[in-house]
Amino acid sequence: MAIVAEHVDKVLGSPPSRVLTDISLRVDDGEFVALTGRSGSGKSTLLYVLSSLDTPSAGSVSIDGMDVGRLSPTELSRLRNEQIGFVFQFHYLIAELTALENVLLPARRSGQERTRREYAESLLERVGLGRKLDRLPRQLSGGEQQRVAIARSLVMEPRYLFADEPTGALDSINGEAVMKMLEETNREKRTSIVLVTHEPDFAARAKRQIHLADGKIIE
Amino acid sequence: MISLALKYLVSRKRQSLFTLLGIFLGAAGYVTISGFFVGFQRYIIDQLVNSSAHVFIQYRQDLLETHSLDEAFFGSDMGHVFWSARPSGREDYARIENPMSWYDRLDSDPRVAAYSPQMTVAGLLSKSRASASVTLTGCIPEKQSKVNDLASKIVEGSFSDIGSGGNRIVVGRELQRQLGVELSQNINVTVGSGTPTPFKVVGIYESGNRNSDLQAFGALADVQKLDNAANRINEIDVKLKDYNQAGEVARNWSKMSPEKIESWDTRNSNFFSIINLQTLMRYVIVGVVMLVAGFGIYNVLMMTVNQKMKDVAILQAIGYQAKDILFLFLFQGLLLGVSGALSGILVGYLVCRYLQTLTMAGPPGSTTSEHLHIALNFGIYSQAAVLAIAASIFASFLPSRAASKLTPIEIIRGGVE
Ligand SMILES: Nc1ncnc2c1ncn2[C@@H]1O[C@H](COP(=O)(O)OP(=O)(O)O)[C@@H](O)[C@H]1O
Ligand SMILES: [Mg+2]
Repeated sequence: MAIVAEHVDKVLGSPPSRVLTDISLRVDDGEFVALTGRSGSGKSTLLYVLSSLDTPSAGSVSIDGMDVGRLSPTELSRLRNEQIGFVFQFHYLIAELTALENVLLPARRSGQERTRREYAESLLERVGLGRKLDRLPRQLSGGEQQRVAIARSLVMEPRYLFADEPTGALDSINGEAVMKMLEETNREKRTSIVLVTHEPDFAARAKRQIHLADGKIIE
Repeated sequence: MISLALKYLVSRKRQSLFTLLGIFLGAAGYVTISGFFVGFQRYIIDQLVNSSAHVFIQYRQDLLETHSLDEAFFGSDMGHVFWSARPSGREDYARIENPMSWYDRLDSDPRVAAYSPQMTVAGLLSKSRASASVTLTGCIPEKQSKVNDLASKIVEGSFSDIGSGGNRIVVGRELQRQLGVELSQNINVTVGSGTPTPFKVVGIYESGNRNSDLQAFGALADVQKLDNAANRINEIDVKLKDYNQAGEVARNWSKMSPEKIESWDTRNSNFFSIINLQTLMRYVIVGVVMLVAGFGIYNVLMMTVNQKMKDVAILQAIGYQAKDILFLFLFQGLLLGVSGALSGILVGYLVCRYLQTLTMAGPPGSTTSEHLHIALNFGIYSQAAVLAIAASIFASFLPSRAASKLTPIEIIRGGVE
């Protein structure tokens, strides 16, 4: 069980420019991979292609042996719901929902809102928001909002977690707390994690680093 | 999804309320305006249908053509006749040619409820110095009362007192005033160049309409005698069991008889063209209101979709499908539409109930006043609901589909850069 990318190219924009060139890599179960590289090197683009949100222009990506490009919309949304968690640089919480409701949103999609409720509360407690379950996003600080987003990405106990500079907008204390969460999740649930970061300290804590420059992997 | 849709709506209270108001006004307006117009129309139709016969069989008036009289004067063996003075004028026997066959036909037709043969002439009524020229109708009172409601409009005396002969007459209220005659007094009746004949007034009716109150009714035999035309009739009024069949019946009978046959609705065609105009106006008004309301929904949803792009992205990224997104926005529009429609219908209903308590002056020419007649039928209400809900579905569909077509990656890329 793994995510496998083979000869992935990605062309974006008009006029078309090549953002990723001939990327092949494999993320095994339980791995913790850091994607590093300069700004504009293609880290985010690669992350979206690996995580099924985007499709490669050439080459293929398979998750658990299934070619992502060949999945039906229904299969794809199910995969995202049950197997994959996302954390973005911007947290994308829904402003009208409380912290707990935001965390439970993926569970609601698959009718597990009740059964996952306790787990969602425990996740929020672990990120230090046990007393702020019913706050709306605007009543939380930026760091707190990002922690809610992480709790949301974990509520379905996904096999894969993709995070795009989750600490980018946070101060060092909050950044450290988020990093701890990811490490614990990787250790305890054997969740595979792909983390985009340009902070060398955090990258060094991953089990493997992949360095990108101009859309190519530098070994 | 439903609760999220609700929260979206609540979070933009003012816009939601305004949109709701649009649909609300559309529905309430439709219900009230329709109630008013349809009620009025139905009232008038009821009046017409109950108070008058449904099919009128009359002698046909033809204008003479140049050669209409050739055969009568010269037989069929003349090739061509040259008239020094061309025949002209009306071919006017003023009679139904074969009334007996009509009676047979009417007696055996199951659609016919009642019929009344009549002889209508122009007459001069006078009492001492006062005189008035009027339409005098000779009829058989028992038959006449079955085809229209004149008998029920008698305010003094009795319609049936006309009897089957004996020079008794019933006059309208207006005529009675003009002649200054009282019940049981005599008036003189002259038809054409005949001699004045005294008639005794046995009844006075008041229909509420000035023109119909300027007429007079007598026994069929008496009027025939006045016109020197025994057994002649020039009209048969027919009441049907179902007035909706009038048009069809009239068309049938026209095909198999020389008489001129009219149904109650063609006789009142002015009224029906007014009804059609009212109906058209009603639809136009409601169409405009619904268009505005629909546009409101469209705008609000378009704005919501634009502001909630990130939400759409995250929802799709955590596994919601395009159809869920479609539903999320469609539901908002639908909820606005349904609640606007329901509250509008309810308020429209209450307004209608209130209008019912008001009084109005009767139709033009009438001398009575009545409560407003407001229709409250189910059809109007379901039409309002269907219209409002259809408008809101229509208006919410485009923005909702636009939202569902978004892909998360486009939004995220656009947002991060
Ligand atoms: N929609 C786009 N159209 C054209 N070029 C794009 C688009 N998105 C990103 N790029 C380009 O692709 C390159 C990689 O972008 P990205 O993956 O966001 O880099 P990183 O995340 O490493 O900063 C950049 O040079 C960027 O300008
Ligand atoms: Mg990036």
